[in-house]
Amino acid sequence: MKRKMFLKDLGQKVICKMKKNLENTEVPKVVVVGHVDHGKSSFIGRFLFDVGEVQKEKFDELKKASERRGVEFEFAFLLDALQDERDQGITIDTTRIFFKTKLRKYVFIDAPGHKEFIRNMITGASSADIAILIVDVDEGIKQQTKKHAYLLKLLGIEQIITLFNKMDKVNYSEEKYTQTKFDLNKYLAEIGIKCHSSIPISSKLGDNIVSLSKNMKWYSGPLFVNVLDNFKVSETKISEVIRFPVQDIYKIGEKRVVVGRIESGRISKGTKLIFLPSNERVDVKTIEVWPKAKKEYVIGDCIGITLSEQIFVDKGNMASDTIFPPKLTNRFESIVFWLSEKKISSKKKYFMKINTGEYEVSVNRIKRVIDTENLNIKKNNTVYKNDVCELVIHSSQLIPMDDYSFNKSTARFCLLDNEEIVAGGIIDLKNYPDQREVKELPKRNITPENYSVSEIDRSMKFNHRPGIIWLTGLSGSGKSTIAKNVEKKLFKRNLNVFSLDGDNLRIGLNKNLAFSPEDRTENIRRTAEVAKLFTQAGFIVLVSLISPYRSERKKARDIRSELFREIYIKASVEVCSKRDVKGLYAKAVSGEIKNFTGISSPYEEPEKPDLVINTSIEDVDESVNKLEEYILNEFSF
Amino acid sequence: MHKNLKKLENESIYIFRQAYRSIPNIALLWSLGKDSNVMLWLAFKAFLGKIPFPLVHVDTGKKFKEMYAFRDKYEKEWKLNLIRGSCPPLEKIDPSLPPAARSAARKTEGLRDIIKNKKFKGIIAGIRRDEQGTRAKERIFSPRDVTGNWNIKNQPPEFWDQSNFNYPDSVHIRIHPLLGWTELDIWQYIKNENIPVVDLYFSKKGKRFRSLGDNDITFPVKSSAKSIDEIIEELKVSKTSERSGRAMDHEEENVFERLRSKGYM
Repeated sequence: MKRKMFLKDLGQKVICKMKKNLENTEVPKVVVVGHVDHGKSSFIGRFLFDVGEVQKEKFDELKKASERRGVEFEFAFLLDALQDERDQGITIDTTRIFFKTKLRKYVFIDAPGHKEFIRNMITGASSADIAILIVDVDEGIKQQTKKHAYLLKLLGIEQIITLFNKMDKVNYSEEKYTQTKFDLNKYLAEIGIKCHSSIPISSKLGDNIVSLSKNMKWYSGPLFVNVLDNFKVSETKISEVIRFPVQDIYKIGEKRVVVGRIESGRISKGTKLIFLPSNERVDVKTIEVWPKAKKEYVIGDCIGITLSEQIFVDKGNMASDTIFPPKLTNRFESIVFWLSEKKISSKKKYFMKINTGEYEVSVNRIKRVIDTENLNIKKNNTVYKNDVCELVIHSSQLIPMDDYSFNKSTARFCLLDNEEIVAGGIIDLKNYPDQREVKELPKRNITPENYSVSEIDRSMKFNHRPGIIWLTGLSGSGKSTIAKNVEKKLFKRNLNVFSLDGDNLRIGLNKNLAFSPEDRTENIRRTAEVAKLFTQAGFIVLVSLISPYRSERKKARDIRSELFREIYIKASVEVCSKRDVKGLYAKAVSGEIKNFTGISSPYEEPEKPDLVINTSIEDVDESVNKLEEYILNEFSF
Repeated sequence: MHKNLKKLENESIYIFRQAYRSIPNIALLWSLGKDSNVMLWLAFKAFLGKIPFPLVHVDTGKKFKEMYAFRDKYEKEWKLNLIRGSCPPLEKIDPSLPPAARSAARKTEGLRDIIKNKKFKGIIAGIRRDEQGTRAKERIFSPRDVTGNWNIKNQPPEFWDQSNFNYPDSVHIRIHPLLGWTELDIWQYIKNENIPVVDLYFSKKGKRFRSLGDNDITFPVKSSAKSIDEIIEELKVSKTSERSGRAMDHEEENVFERLRSKGYM
């Protein structure tokens, strides 16, 4: 009796305090997870019904429908909206229900418990503020109970409410409840999730959900509804660390507006930012918001900004404060949930999306696969659908990112394999150095002079951006021919364009180089550096160079990756040797020329070139037009 | 602005910008109702005052005259790039559907024609999860196959604001910027931002429309709410569903699911 009074009293006090805020609070999203058939949908349905939030017509409609079908009405029917779900009695896809208790509004997210539908569970749970794990006390802890708990942890949930359902089926046994709770808490502690509260309930009969159970006098804890209403959702802190991923660039009149969402910190006029990967520093000139901008915006806000200086900013770049910029790296470790039937392959290229950035990556190594059942490392280092594993990931580009412990929202990503999202993961950078210094100049007592005319001023005058168009392909594939013709055409269009030819460079600058792998490497380095100088002068440079090794082309790209485009001029050895304009193939075959690419030296095809021109199929005009169009698209304003 | 509204507004703007950068050739469905007006407003915010893609009104020819007047007024005032689409006659629609649903399905066909003719790869629609059970299961970016069908049992994952935009060329994506909003949020936002709506939402002779559709299958509900404030107060205590005045929802248990799996909004 005393306890009831206390609860009522507590409830009243909280109601008074919170009612005032009901209008102005955020609406917590609550996800309910657990093993299949442990009663997630039924629990939510019962809770909705008990707080008086079920629309009468909906209830009547469903009741009629179950009578028609000759099945007993279940509260789960309120949520399982698909015909198939009601027929099979399981939830297939996640759903959301909006409602309020006396104290605040909620969005409940019902997640499917069947292991086939993990991707739907993740879709539902990834946006939750509060998580509830349901266990059928009669069945006890099952495979998906553990898997879901583990996934919640990866999704960033730190503490959960656990409900022990179907108490009516075990005669409201305290012992059964205590044992199951003990087992579950042990597992949760091992994976690092805090249990906020545990409550024995029966969804079928409504015990301890909104009204106190008469059948469990031994239970002295609070009702579910009170626990929920008092659950404090951690408030978003506005830190000094700024993260502003660039979502897009809008050209509005004369303004170039950089739009994005603030993922951390605050931004106002005058805020100093670093843009990565270019590592350029710039101030916020204006904030652009329709119809009128406020002075300051904070985490969560979608805004636009203009910059005090014109620098090259592209979508997918990351702006940050100048003191704690994110790390820039092309290697990192991650904990990943794998959602696909497709096997992980280290030979495959994956597409990684992190914030607004998109990068090509590969899985360098599967470090280990975790068995979420017992937290052991699986002996078989193969990743199957719905497994959790640790991967080492490599990329050809430097990617700005944070360690998950530093800032969650800029430390998680998804992987795509062609047309499918195959995985999601969180980033662990502890073992990896920041490579931002590679963007800085080597410290050898050399202080570079600033250019008196900036690159952006040049390109504004020339009306196009500078660029390096790197034509790679076998000797005789048509690189020089295409480059020469495109150069002519672009020149006629008033573009500043110049063509660097491998053979010509070998007459002068690269005179001392032969065709050994080392010399080829140096040949490419010098050529790329010359190309870079041309871009600094505002030119579009066409480089025709066999450049047979992937790694060397990558180095060339890294010199100015934002302006570099790899064009694969494709033609088979057979076609090229048939053409043999310079008579080189004949000499190579006879052995007169050594280290000849395609004959006695390898050519590594580009894996994902920016453009492919297949000269065995396309004629010269087609090839030239294609490249011209591509360049105009990419580089002219 | 209320914290919750601010959060919803930001989410919607993010979705708009993500759609515009990731999907070529998109359009916004403007059905003239309260939700699509809010959506339009959010698009103005996302694109800083000028919407960089067309709006589409799929006209069944059976809207209320007040709705047509509203359309014509704001098309001019807001300088909208509006495409008007028409719908095929009832005879061409699946006769196995119950009468009201069959009538509503004309709109699906009209939309399908426009998508095909204009080669749209993305269609922005103002549906909300709180309206109806199958809408509650929607993704923000939801792929539709070549015939417009929704594969409800095999939806792609969507988490951490990451979605898939890589689909075969025959697929178009439905974009749902208002999925997380409730009816009450919509009205509070309308009030907050002073967004115009058709008069039919306000009570006349003890009745008002809560949801607007075709004039022969949409009915007013009992209400005394004559202003936005009164509507907000009414909704805080209402226990009837928003679509109770929509005949097609109540004909058969799964009829709305059937309509939606064939491409209805």
